[in-house]
Amino acid sequence: MKWSVLVALAMLALITSVVLGPAAVPLAELLHSDIVWNLRVPRALLAFLVGGSLGVAGASLQALVRNPLADPFLLGLSGGAGLGAVLAIALHLPGPWALPIAAFVGALAALGLVYRLGLIGGAALDPRILLLGGVAIGAFAAAITTAIVSLADAAELRNAFLWLWGGLSGASWDSVLLVLLYIPIPLAVLLAASRPLDLLALGEESAGYLGADVETVKRRVYLAASLLTAAAVAVSGVIGFVGLVVPHLARLTWGHRHRALLPAAFLGGGALLAFADTLARTAVAPRELPVGVVTALIGVPVFAFLLRRWTIA
Amino acid sequence: MLRRLLVIVVFLAGCRPSGRPAVGPSQRIVSLLPSFTEILFAIGAGDRVVGRTQWCDYPPAALAVPSVGEGLPPNIEAVAARHPDLVVLYNAGANVVAAQQLERIGIRTVLLDLNRLEDLGPATRTLGRLTGLEQRAESVALAMDSLLLHQPPPTSTTLAFVVWDNPPIIIGHGSYLDQLASSAGARNVFSDVAAPSAQVSLETIVARDPQWIAVLSDSGTAPAFAKRREWRAVRAVREGHFLLLPGSLFGRPGPRSAEAIRELRERLGL
Repeated sequence: MKWSVLVALAMLALITSVVLGPAAVPLAELLHSDIVWNLRVPRALLAFLVGGSLGVAGASLQALVRNPLADPFLLGLSGGAGLGAVLAIALHLPGPWALPIAAFVGALAALGLVYRLGLIGGAALDPRILLLGGVAIGAFAAAITTAIVSLADAAELRNAFLWLWGGLSGASWDSVLLVLLYIPIPLAVLLAASRPLDLLALGEESAGYLGADVETVKRRVYLAASLLTAAAVAVSGVIGFVGLVVPHLARLTWGHRHRALLPAAFLGGGALLAFADTLARTAVAPRELPVGVVTALIGVPVFAFLLRRWTIA
Repeated sequence: MLRRLLVIVVFLAGCRPSGRPAVGPSQRIVSLLPSFTEILFAIGAGDRVVGRTQWCDYPPAALAVPSVGEGLPPNIEAVAARHPDLVVLYNAGANVVAAQQLERIGIRTVLLDLNRLEDLGPATRTLGRLTGLEQRAESVALAMDSLLLHQPPPTSTTLAFVVWDNPPIIIGHGSYLDQLASSAGARNVFSDVAAPSAQVSLETIVARDPQWIAVLSDSGTAPAFAKRREWRAVRAVREGHFLLLPGSLFGRPGPRSAEAIRELRERLGL
């Protein structure tokens, strides 16, 4: 029952985002419209895939660091991606894909640094150090980014922040195809780690007693979730709250078993972002709202409600 | 001379009740906006400009003036180090505080609006009064005012100004560039957007189907987004109908606005 509701919600979000838009396209012409085929459909699909990826990445990272506040971008990736994007503009890197590629590389660099920091105490990946290292690397990257923006000559640098704040304007069949080819691998790795992630919630020691290869699982989960987030940031910037709120919502209904939780977080995250993007495109048409604003406007009240329930319970 | 002084005293008393008694025409001016620098040179006060922003690149003689950096917000110490007796600032948030700080260390400041064509005349007259060059300023200002009075009849030519591609940011009604378009006889397809600039969806640009995509560009090459698949849904992008407008001439209202309008007309074939 709850699965059918979720799937129906996801379908509804996808259909509305194809049918609704700032440009008036009559229903009868929906299937023949260039606007629908080349702009709305890829944008709806990209929103769904990115939202889903963020949902899954968030759920896995929350389990990994055993912290309900973990967000896919908490581990320094947004800072790294921002630095990459700003460098691409400041150095005038040519080509239509320069910015997303630079952001991806920046996110990967931050990922590598944080991972290395996480191993600082020896061979075991320490989740607490991952969190602290992520925040530190993120702050460091943000400081360099701001320094570049205030020192460099390129007038368009301020716009880099617009890009970084997230949005799906760059959606095309190219980006959908890229994401479709890329995300199945990290998604499969995370799904395969469902059982050990369940055990990890009991504590690393207990998980080890119950037969989980704790160290391998932690590394795999960290790398897969981060690679998923890095792809999301490359195609759509930093879209907040999806990766934080959706896993909690999914946990309320599906409980803590990751075999069900992860797919639910994927569908839920996809539906939320597709729906939020439809609102962003249509609410103030012909103008458009940054989609991160909409996800936060929906996400924060939900989150506040959840916090209240937890503190009462 | 006495009358001139009186005018300045009255003017300064009018705009700044707490201001100090005014002195004579300013001799050492720091200009913190490229448009102000151009106006100062146009009214014959170029030799009194002792500081400019890094963006002030016209007239060429301005490049010989030491730069005090970005200008928005200004570096107070760099400005003060030029020992100006007048600092001209663009009237915007951070600059208001900067002007107060400069006043506190005894430097006269003036904050001027310069967002649209109609701001040009008043700004030029004010600078004329502060420099004691009212007559030159008046003739420059009259030429500027006439730009608004002699609007050509609108043609069927349409364009959209795209200032950033992801997310797409366009220029709306409240801006100088929108005025440039209508002064050249073209219609900005986003003139119904009241704000100076706004984020829109790509599909809105496709639906409004402008004949030209205008971008401020100094390189003279088509913008990188021209090659992106999603932008090729826009007809003007597919057909390569880009207007590549150098920012120095088109990006700022100033004494060369008439030239910018003429050149825009020419490029649009009007």
